[in-house]
Parts: sequence; structure tokens; C-alpha cells
Amino acid sequence: MMLVRDLFKLSLHNLLLHKVRSILTSLGVIFGVGSVIAMLAISEGAKRSALAQIEAMGVDKIILFSKRPPIDGRSESSDNASVMERYGLNSRDVNNILKMDNVERITGVFDTRKKVLKGLDRTDLKLVGCDYEFLGDSLARIEKGRWFTPADFKNDAYVCVIGKNVKRKLFSIGNTDIVGSTIRVEDMVFRIIGIINNEYGTQYPEIGGQNDMILIPMTTARALCKDYTFYREGRNYKITRIEYDLFLIKVNDTSYIDNTSKRVAGYLEKTHSETKDWGMVVPLELLKQMEQTQNIFTIVMGSIAGISLVVGGIGIMNIMLASVYERRKEIGTRRALGAQKSDILLQFLIETVFLTSIGGVLGILLGVGIGSTITYYTQMPTIYSAWSIILALAISSITGVIFGTYPAYKAAQQNPITVLRAE
Amino acid sequence: MAADKAITGDDIVRLIDIRKTYITGELQVPVLKGIHATVRRGEFVGFIGTSGSGKSTLLNILGMLDVPTSGQYFLEDTEVSQLSDVDQATIRNRKIGFIFQSFNLFPHLSVEENIEVPMVYGRIPGRIRRKRALELAKRVGLGHRLGHKPTQLSGGECQRIAIARALSNNPAFILADEPTGNLDEKTSNEIMDLFHELNRGQGVTIVMVTHNPALGPHYDTIIRLRDGRIDDRLFEWEIREQERQAAEKAAKAAEVAK
Repeated sequence: MMLVRDLFKLSLHNLLLHKVRSILTSLGVIFGVGSVIAMLAISEGAKRSALAQIEAMGVDKIILFSKRPPIDGRSESSDNASVMERYGLNSRDVNNILKMDNVERITGVFDTRKKVLKGLDRTDLKLVGCDYEFLGDSLARIEKGRWFTPADFKNDAYVCVIGKNVKRKLFSIGNTDIVGSTIRVEDMVFRIIGIINNEYGTQYPEIGGQNDMILIPMTTARALCKDYTFYREGRNYKITRIEYDLFLIKVNDTSYIDNTSKRVAGYLEKTHSETKDWGMVVPLELLKQMEQTQNIFTIVMGSIAGISLVVGGIGIMNIMLASVYERRKEIGTRRALGAQKSDILLQFLIETVFLTSIGGVLGILLGVGIGSTITYYTQMPTIYSAWSIILALAISSITGVIFGTYPAYKAAQQNPITVLRAE
Repeated sequence: MAADKAITGDDIVRLIDIRKTYITGELQVPVLKGIHATVRRGEFVGFIGTSGSGKSTLLNILGMLDVPTSGQYFLEDTEVSQLSDVDQATIRNRKIGFIFQSFNLFPHLSVEENIEVPMVYGRIPGRIRRKRALELAKRVGLGHRLGHKPTQLSGGECQRIAIARALSNNPAFILADEPTGNLDEKTSNEIMDLFHELNRGQGVTIVMVTHNPALGPHYDTIIRLRDGRIDDRLFEWEIREQERQAAEKAAKAAEVAK
């Protein structure tokens, strides 16, 4: 064992002797490992944020949303006719779906499509009616104030809970008395009772995330506009009837999600057979799909990184072979002084592994640098896991072993008589 | 002169009918054609021969870097000519102290580390190595240079370090290959004096291989090689006699010149 320590000292010595050459030699490994690290960090970051986004929808949910059906032939944008449209999910669907097995409850959301005013400006915020359970089922949390009470629903109260982004858009920074103040929507005034925050922004297709919503009790919303939304588009009036924009169907056991979603889809296909005016998202399925694509991504990126490591390794092998030739006399002298072939082999092997390991460490730094730069400029999250660092170190030293063995073997096989004569 | 040194009876090296034939294609080139020789403990033996005499091959066989085609090589009563590679390296490490014409020091290691190299391969612990390296450096008169690099030393000093390195595992004998070949005359004499001192004063057995036909006062035995055979063997008294005659001749010549 003592010898191994001496060999380590010796190899370090030799590498420091040719600092520039050592660095240049390990460049291949540096870039290889750097790309491995950056790739893993990026894919891990992408995975986490996508995961979080999907999880924010709730893996025990099936999300149904109303979708404006595709317009076939009947062009409506050019002519002057006012249009009345009716589509989407309705209360009959609620009742029928609720009867299915394993469906625990349905939380409905209804977009009133009314314009919110701030001062004299209209903003693009949504005034949305929702059920009592929406807070829990949408995985949002109350940042300030409170959620609706059952009494608010019973009384069609003019109260609202606003999303975090709404607060930012309607109120100036530093305004602390938001809860309790009022906002105006067309000719109605709502009192703000709470602010909610969902960390993962936009998560519902067609309707967006809670952070951009002004939530009011569903009963209030119905009292205001039944299921009609009515607005002007140029000279034309447009009336849209949608009862529900969104259903969050909570399934009592995630293992039934697949079955239940199929059954719900089957039901909707039958009942909404004329037009496809609905869409469905199953977060759990998305999750599985995403994991699959992520794995493919990792494999592809891993192979690319692997190729650069192989190239790096070959470069190192090349240099080490040259180094064996260059140091023939040293090898001969060592053999004459009593070094075993195995001592020589080990010396060169350790030197190569040292070289690639240093390359590995520098590569990790490079990879972290690349990742951080990407995060800095694109806001794409990067995550450096401990195992990716360990993996990178392992890979770099294994590269050293693989590509160092042949030169080391060559060195050990040198005939001491001939190499001692070499100059 | 011989009285103050002890050449004890036992043989360190015994070569019996050593032959070496190189085969290149269909051509057989005999290089050594039957060498018989012994080196006794405490002896200073010189193998002298011109190039092509087979002296390098003999050196390689003596140093166990090469194996003879036939014949026996006893090193301290062990037949070593046909040992495995691993055993050869072990014996080289413990029993033979190599000294080279061009010193073959490791330029990036310090003097101390250079002296330690054979001990490293002998698996000797660091503490003992450092202590011995200091002792040896002092013994060759360079105790104050332990931290230097070989490039900071003169040729003579380098060869002294090489000698210290050769002695580090207390070998059975020192095998010096033309040790003064790269040195000027004055330094050569100093190095030869050091060998002499080690041999006479400390009983180190020395085998020196050289092409230099000049006789020194240092050798106990001189073995002349020619064409793969031993041509001539001079023992101590003969060497002294020849030296005396040479000195007389020189003196006469000097007188005539006057």
C-alpha cells in the first residue's frame, strides 16, 4: 500500500511537470464530463419543473375543460352576423360523471368573461366563479386573508379572492391593505377577502392558472350571468353559453385514474357527439409520458456525452503512448533499480487515471458553469444532484482505466536493455 | 595495501560457462562464448573490453536485465540465470546496485527522492527511507544537497548521488557501467577515489564494466574481454607490477625528454 501512495505522489509530480500538456490532454475529458454534468443538470431541472407543474394539477385528478369546437365551413369572423354559441361542459355532465365509481367529487369553474377595470383601463384578468373545494383541489394556498365561507356561497356574496399576479397588476407594490379593499368589474364591486398563490403558474388548459384569476363564489357568478357570456366584438355581439369551463374530477384512488378517465372520455364522446367541445388532461398520464420522454432525452444526451468522453479518452491514450516512448529511459532505469513490471504498469495507469480524474473535476466545474450560464440567460432551472457529480467522477476515472491500460501495459513491456540505451 | 581490506573467501558472483547467442532470422550471432568468472566479497573487479567484445551483454546478464543462452550465474549461491521476471526484478532491487554512465537520475525528483527510489521498490517505509537517504548522501559527501534537484548539481555530484542510490538497499555488489564516461578527468578521478574508498574502507564489492584500457590502482582483478571470451586475467600483484613498470617507463621517458 505504501507503494501506491508513492506512486500517487509520483504521478502528481509528473503531471505538474507538464502542466500545460496535462491540461490540454485532459481537455477531451473536461468537455466530456462538463457536457455530462450540464446535460444532467438541465434535464433534471426540466424534469423537476415539469413534474412540479404536473403535480400542481394534482395526480389524483382528471381535468376536463370546455373547448371551443372547431368551426367547419361556417366562417364567422368576416360576416356581420352576431353569433350565439353554445358548447362545453354542463350540469348534466356533472351529475352523470358524479355517478361513476371512484369519482369523489367534481369542482367546477366558470369563467364569466367579464372585463375587469382598473381605473379606466381594462385588464385581461379573468373573473371566475368556482366551487368551495377549488382551493384544496387546485393545490393553491392562501397567502393572505381567507378563502370563501359556505355563507358566501349561500348569500351570493360580492367577495373575491385574487391570485398573486392579479394583485401585482391591480395594486402598486408596497400596498399592504389589499385584503379588505374593493375592485370593480363592469358595474359591480367586489370586496377582496384573500390572496392566493399557486407556485406553478399556468396549469389549466384553456383557462390558465389561479394566479391570474379573480375568484368569486360560483353562486355569485351564476346570479350575475347565468351561463351566458355576452360581449362585443367590433360591431358584432357575441353570446356564448358555456355552463362550465373546467371540471376538476377528484378520483378517490390514483390506481383507478386510468379506468375512470377512459370511462369519462367514453361518456363524453357519446353525449357530446356532434362536436368535440371538450378536452381532457390526465396529469398522472402526462407524468408517465413525461418520464418516458425524459428518459429518451437522457439516453440521447448521454450518448453524445459518451462519445465526447471516448474521444477524450483516445486523446489521452495517444498522449500516454507518446509519453511512454518519451520516458523509455526512465522506465529502463526504474526496472534496473528493481521496479516490477506491475510497478511500471501501475505507475502509468495511476498517472492516466489521475489525469482523467482531474479532468473530471474540472469538467464538473465547467458543467456547473455551463448550467449556471444557461439558467442565468434562459431562466431554465438546472439541478446538480449528488449522484450526477459522483457519476461524473466515476466515469472520468473509469475512462482513465480504460484508456490508460494499454499505454501502461506498453510501458511495462518495454525491454529494459533497449530502453536503457535510448537517449 | 591489500592488507587493510578483507576479501573474504565467499564468492558473490560465480559465472560458469556463460554463453549468449543472438538469433536474427536464420543468422546466429554468438556474443558470449563461454565466460567463467568469480567475484569475491569485498573485491573490486573490472571487466575491460572494447566495443564488440561482449562486455555490454555481460553487463546485462550480470545485472539480470538479460538471461544467458546457456551457463550458470550464481549470485550469493543462488542460481539466478533462469528466474522469472518478477524474481529477477526483486533480486535486482535487493542485491544489485546499478550505476550508469549517464547517471540516469530522475530530473524532477529531489536528491533525497532519487536516493529513495530503490527503497520504494523494496517496500521500505518512508521514515526509514528518509533516514537512510540522509546517511547515504553524507557518505558520498552530499549530505547538504538533499533538497536539490539533479539539474542543480554538477556531473560529479550527480554520479555521487547515483552511487548513494545504488547503495540504498545494501546490495551484494555494485554494478557500474562506465561510470566515469561522461565526466572530465579530474572529476573521474574523484569518482574513482570514491569507489576506492567505498571498496577499501567499507568493504563494498564493486564490478565495473569499462572500455577504458588504462589501469587504475583501484582494481583487485581486471578481466579483459575480447570477442566474447576472456582474453586475459590480471590479479592484484600483476596489476601493481604493470603499474610500476609503466611508471618507470614514464619516468625514463621524462628523463630522456630532459
